[in-house]
Amino acid sequence: MRRTSSDRLLVLLPTPAVAIIPALFAFTAVVLTSFPVSLTGGLFPPPLFVLMVIYFWALIRPDLMPPGLVFAIGLLEDLLSGSPPGLWTSSFLVTYVLIDRQRDVFAGLAGWAAILGFALAMLIASVSAYGIAWLYFWHVPPIQPLALQLAASIVLYVPVLSFLNWVQQRFIGPQRSDF
Amino acid sequence: MANGTWKIARGKGSAQLPLAIVAVLAVIVLLAGKAHFLPFDRARAALTDWAKPAITAVNVPVVAVSTWLSGAEHFFDVYSENQRLREENARLRQWQGAADMLQARVKRYQLLLNAVSDPASTSVAGRVIGHASRPFSETIVLNAGTRDHVKPGETVADARGVLGRIYLAGQHTAWVILLTDLNSRVPVSVQPANDQAILAGNNSEAPALEAVAQGAKLKDGQEVVTSGNGGLMPPGLPVGVLYHDSSGFRVALYADPGTADDVRIMDFKQEQMPAPTDQDLPATAAGFKPSPPVEAPPETVAPPAGVPAAASPNAAGGTGAKPTATTTAPAIRGTAVSPSTTEPKPRVTPPAPTQTDKPAARNPDDDEDNQ
Repeated sequence: MRRTSSDRLLVLLPTPAVAIIPALFAFTAVVLTSFPVSLTGGLFPPPLFVLMVIYFWALIRPDLMPPGLVFAIGLLEDLLSGSPPGLWTSSFLVTYVLIDRQRDVFAGLAGWAAILGFALAMLIASVSAYGIAWLYFWHVPPIQPLALQLAASIVLYVPVLSFLNWVQQRFIGPQRSDF
Repeated sequence: MANGTWKIARGKGSAQLPLAIVAVLAVIVLLAGKAHFLPFDRARAALTDWAKPAITAVNVPVVAVSTWLSGAEHFFDVYSENQRLREENARLRQWQGAADMLQARVKRYQLLLNAVSDPASTSVAGRVIGHASRPFSETIVLNAGTRDHVKPGETVADARGVLGRIYLAGQHTAWVILLTDLNSRVPVSVQPANDQAILAGNNSEAPALEAVAQGAKLKDGQEVVTSGNGGLMPPGLPVGVLYHDSSGFRVALYADPGTADDVRIMDFKQEQMPAPTDQDLPATAAGFKPSPPVEAPPETVAPPAGVPAAASPNAAGGTGAKPTATTTAPAIRGTAVSPSTTEPKPRVTPPAPTQTDKPAARNPDDDEDNQ
């Protein structure tokens, strides 16, 4: 592994601990998203924090965000949120496939384009979930709650991205490009 | 933002095999969920039970802030609000007296007619400890579970009206599917004409009214109550008020899940009707089939003077069954008995069950004490 001069500022953790960090953040995000407490009295659905974590590490360290982990995260999301089993699991996997196929494109985005990249991933996840819910319930689900969740997630991705970047640089260090 | 300088060093498609495996697994999970795979529900209930203290702890400050914020809006009109409540209280006291009188009269009539009693319901009180508003589900979590005799299918209502039904019960917690949920379908009737319809949730604040009875003339402002059809919910529970918009008739719900706190979880018990004897069958009664010899009835006591003959249980011409109207006293509105209420229910109805609230588990003896 190639070390850079900025490594002197890092708190370098042993490899197993580094591998746990994305999973830990993902599960925390699931709990935050799915915790049955609404700060808005049920007016707005909570933002999908967990997809931010999946998107971030699937881009910059895919070895720390393998498909199996995405499956487990999605399953926990379904379990805690009261959604039909497999709904968000499948949606996250569809999004993961998109990221996996277009990683070069997404990873090259910077600035507002990076936000748009996440918005696209979020849109894919929402459309997948909508389609699955439609087939699952055999009713046409309302679009408004999903659109609200989409908007809230994109807006909140900006501060969350800064935080995840800090965690990545502070505790994990090497990125995909360093290998 | 920060991902503009990455070099691409990893080959594409390296995760294809595990991706294919987990994709198949996800489809299997979806199909299992559609088939109501029980372990998933059990895991969900167990997880909620385990997280109950945390959910309760987090919900307390959230509710406190919400209550404070909603209370702050009314801070400046406390006096006028107080006056309005006093007047309303006085009016309601008058109505309460009238309702008590009418209920006693209905009881007397039921006794006179040997009428089939209304299904009884008992209830436990629970508290809302969580509210999950997701794009495809509208649910709340209660702090009562199977240890408090809460079962899936039971109706949940607060002081204002029906909230929904229990769909998953853990030992200490229960998930409620709200009337606004996409999957909620509840049979209702529109008052005063008792027009039957289905209240269909659509994840919006106001569920739609579907499958309205033919010829029903609906208009804004009519009250919607549960019809009791299907035997899932007690009849006559207040649901909301009808209004019309561009998409059709919708119901503005009385109960607000966002501010619901203490709720009743109602166990709707249906009276088990005695099985008909051969003599009750129409063919036998009409003389088409020979009826078995009937033993001489025991010596009957003549009713006292002044009591109409119909008041005697045996004189009602039925099976000689004890009038059940005296055993139940439903405190719910609406006395219409749906055809489904005559279906036998395997569950044993406790003696003298009434609709009572108490914080602990149900106990028929306590019910009697509360009457």
